[in-house]
Amino acid sequence: MALGSVRDVFRKSDAFLLGVCVLLAGGFLFLAAKNAADAGNFFTIDSLFFTTVCLLLAVTFIAVPALTMRERGINPFAVPDGVPAARAHEEVHFEGSTKLFLNILGALLVLTVVEVVLAYIEVPLTLMLIILIGLSLIKAALIMAYFMHLRFERMSLVLTLVPALVICICLLFIVFPDSFRTRQQRATPTRAVQAEPGAEASH
Amino acid sequence: MSTEAHASHGHGTAAVANEWDGGTFPYRVGHRKLGMWLFIVSDAMTFSALLVGYSYARAASDQWPTPFPFYPSIIFSTTMTLFLLASSFTMVMAVKASAENRLRAARRWIFATMLGGLTFLVLHLIEWEHLIHDGLRPFRLADQMAKDWPQAPPLFGASFFSITGLHMFHVLTGVLYLGWIALRISKTRHEDVEISGLYWHFVDLVWMFVFPLIYLMSVKY
Repeated sequence: MALGSVRDVFRKSDAFLLGVCVLLAGGFLFLAAKNAADAGNFFTIDSLFFTTVCLLLAVTFIAVPALTMRERGINPFAVPDGVPAARAHEEVHFEGSTKLFLNILGALLVLTVVEVVLAYIEVPLTLMLIILIGLSLIKAALIMAYFMHLRFERMSLVLTLVPALVICICLLFIVFPDSFRTRQQRATPTRAVQAEPGAEASH
Repeated sequence: MSTEAHASHGHGTAAVANEWDGGTFPYRVGHRKLGMWLFIVSDAMTFSALLVGYSYARAASDQWPTPFPFYPSIIFSTTMTLFLLASSFTMVMAVKASAENRLRAARRWIFATMLGGLTFLVLHLIEWEHLIHDGLRPFRLADQMAKDWPQAPPLFGASFFSITGLHMFHVLTGVLYLGWIALRISKTRHEDVEISGLYWHFVDLVWMFVFPLIYLMSVKY
């Protein structure tokens, strides 16, 4: 199995031409996609024709490098058997079974469905916000602990990252009383002016 | 207090009594992984600032447009959420496969993750197209919205497009990053695959907050 690098086997001019072919194939794919997106009605003869032509040209242009590389026995994307050199000295720790992760995924999906259903139930605004943010925090905690693996890392890392983030987010909440003040003030501007008997005539 | 731990990849030997004594990685993670975690924390603050800004504008307004009907908006966004969660799961499976040196499987799981991300992007762009077609712009409401919610500020467009746009940008970057890792899987360390996984889970994490605050809060309020 020849797992060579593209550079070993091709002259620079060959590699350049193959690169141009790949670019052109990509360009035709993009044209086909753009036509599909922009066409008001995709299922017209014109639009289908254009799409077919673009796709055919894309296939033709990508066939050139693909077949050439196959002929010369190169697959730059091949994965060798065994442990590659980059990983030879790595110490890898990975805790967690597929079953655990499937359970977490299930919990996340259920919580999402609960949130969506909750949105369609009449609930007072504050309560809705609390429940929604609460559920989102639980989902975030599940993702961070299990998918991002924090549960299995050192506690010192968790304590360095999470409290700082939580404190900064809580600090952002300082602005909210001002938003309520803004809304209230907008509702009562004229009363303040009319309360003054000696108000200026320019009003 | 041994100072003779490996200078290379290994996390300190058993003889290192304290991880802060030198000769090993603080927190027992490599510098690349720590760097990604610090980036994630900083990016989380950026999104928090945007979301709090949106919440402020909304709390300070008498009216706020809620142009998200069940079909297509809520259905699309719920589907997007489910796809993103599934892609997080496939990413964990990719990291697991990489840990066990099953590199071809790892690459396939990463492709599945990318597919989830691309589906998310396409659905979200369709959502954007609906709103833009209706006439919504960053600082101007669509005509129908201005009629339905006469006291609503024009900030709706800006907040919606900036938050979801920044998130979509993160998803796109994530897909490209994952593609790079997948194509070069035999030349990457396992750590690199883990780190790309961390970024992808962060993208999912942000969506966990964007989705309720922007879409679900627009159903009945």
